[in-house]
Amino acid sequence: MRAGISELAGRLRNREISSVELTRAYIDAIEKLNPTLNAYVHLTFDTALEAAEQADRMLAEGDAPVLCGIPMALKDNICTDGLPTTCCSKILTGFKPYYDATVWEKLKRQGAVLLGKTNMDEFAMGSTSETSFYGAPLNPRNPEYVTGGSSGGSAAAVCANLAVYSLGSDTGGSIRQPASFCGVVGLKPTYGAVSRYGLIAYGSSLDQIGPLTSSVRDAAIVFDAIKGVDKRDQTSVDFDYGPSLVESLDRDIAGMRIGVAEEFFDGINPEIEASIGKAIALLEKNGARIENIRIPALKIALPVYYIIACAEASSNLGRYDGIRYGYRTPSYTSIDEMIVKTRSEGFGDEVKRRIMLGTYVLSSGYYDAYYKKACLIREEIIREFDAVFEKCDVLVAPTAPNTAFPLNYKGASPVEIYLSDICTVPVNIAGVPAISVPCGEDSRGLPIGMQIIGRKFDEATVLQAAHFYEQAAGKVIGDYKGGAAI
Amino acid sequence: MAISKTEIEKLARLARLSFSDEELERFTAEFDEIIEFANTINQSIEGGTEQIRSVGARMVSFDELRPDEVAPSLPNEKILSNVEGYNGFFSLERSRK
Repeated sequence: MRAGISELAGRLRNREISSVELTRAYIDAIEKLNPTLNAYVHLTFDTALEAAEQADRMLAEGDAPVLCGIPMALKDNICTDGLPTTCCSKILTGFKPYYDATVWEKLKRQGAVLLGKTNMDEFAMGSTSETSFYGAPLNPRNPEYVTGGSSGGSAAAVCANLAVYSLGSDTGGSIRQPASFCGVVGLKPTYGAVSRYGLIAYGSSLDQIGPLTSSVRDAAIVFDAIKGVDKRDQTSVDFDYGPSLVESLDRDIAGMRIGVAEEFFDGINPEIEASIGKAIALLEKNGARIENIRIPALKIALPVYYIIACAEASSNLGRYDGIRYGYRTPSYTSIDEMIVKTRSEGFGDEVKRRIMLGTYVLSSGYYDAYYKKACLIREEIIREFDAVFEKCDVLVAPTAPNTAFPLNYKGASPVEIYLSDICTVPVNIAGVPAISVPCGEDSRGLPIGMQIIGRKFDEATVLQAAHFYEQAAGKVIGDYKGGAAI
Repeated sequence: MAISKTEIEKLARLARLSFSDEELERFTAEFDEIIEFANTINQSIEGGTEQIRSVGARMVSFDELRPDEVAPSLPNEKILSNVEGYNGFFSLERSRK
């Protein structure tokens, strides 16, 4: 069993290992495996070793936070002052932000050691991480398969033990789906629980930062460290979670009402359905009450998501004009031409498709039929979730309708790829929290993820149910052999 | 075909993008499928969207905004650190002679 955050924190405190030694072990593993896995796109080893030295001093002084000295990774869309942040897009080539995202500011203050920035779909637009300007990361469990996306590098880095934990962002499933494909834990917090300041925007009403970890306990620890209101993000909420989410983990689930909505199981791969069914039976055996419920509006959540996310993206990505940072086309004769050429040369195909769809649904004559209608249905979805959570404490569903796709999967149209987000997007539309935990493997040995969805700001119950399942189910997927020798 | 090449060209102008002829062909075909997918929001659902009453419930309320606080700006040299500036300004090639 690999060491989690609590164990490493203990070893750092009783001087069994120093943060510098721990960091060097991770650097060695990255140097060995990253040329193949491509989980990291920017490495920050020099600053990591300086941070590790600083962390060792903090640890020696005593009373250091739990994440002090622990090596970790950030998705390449989270701003880091003076360190590359490119959203894996050509248009942000060479960009070094001049400020830190709030999440990184918080972790840095707690002595976190940043190993590098992880690979992702360009501007977080994709479900396989193959739209990255730097090429796709490979799934460490089977390098013939994708990691999922868009936080594919963050999931691969944790899976292959090239980071103790990482942060990703989730607009329509981008933390949970790669967590599911790589067999790690991924938590998408409630919209507003974690500050988005310094997260490069995709769909601002849906985006949320969260942890990818090797256990539910680690997810609770990292969530504790990054959550909280921030005056620089007007959508962040001052919610009182109490002293620590970790404390809620060990409660048992007797009497917990678990909802199962048939809409989440439409068109699901039978192996995944069987695996989730087995997990539900285990929870029931341990005293949970299973409620069969309906959420009819889920059937149209997917187009609602793509309309809203792309509308917001078309506006958010308007800022890339080649004037203030990133790529600029080498030759032009007017400012207008410079902007159009820069954008056309700098954005990849999937980003262009989504900007075009967003422009279309917001354009005169189509706004009411698409964007406004999607916003109305969004309310219906929120209302249906609210009603369900009067009867249930959490919902259980698959994280994805399929396990990892083969790399360079030909024959899938953009829309076919969109369909793989069917189980995750409703959660972002409703703004509720959800976690993906490994719950089995398919016949090819690829991990299957189970999603546990909760009420707004009730991460405590989501983590409690996930932790209970993780402990009760025991070993459901094989260990990854390799990574940092710790 | 639901959407014409002319419409795609108009959208591209709005989005400040340009496409080569080959890209335009491909994008138009793909876009057709994407619009068809977007149109599925018009299907009826059990329980019904007729229950939808208003656009009132927003994700976040902007009714109460915090008072503005004046904070120091980032230094000019930091802002210009990502480009070749000119006398403390962003600069472009001269485009009018």
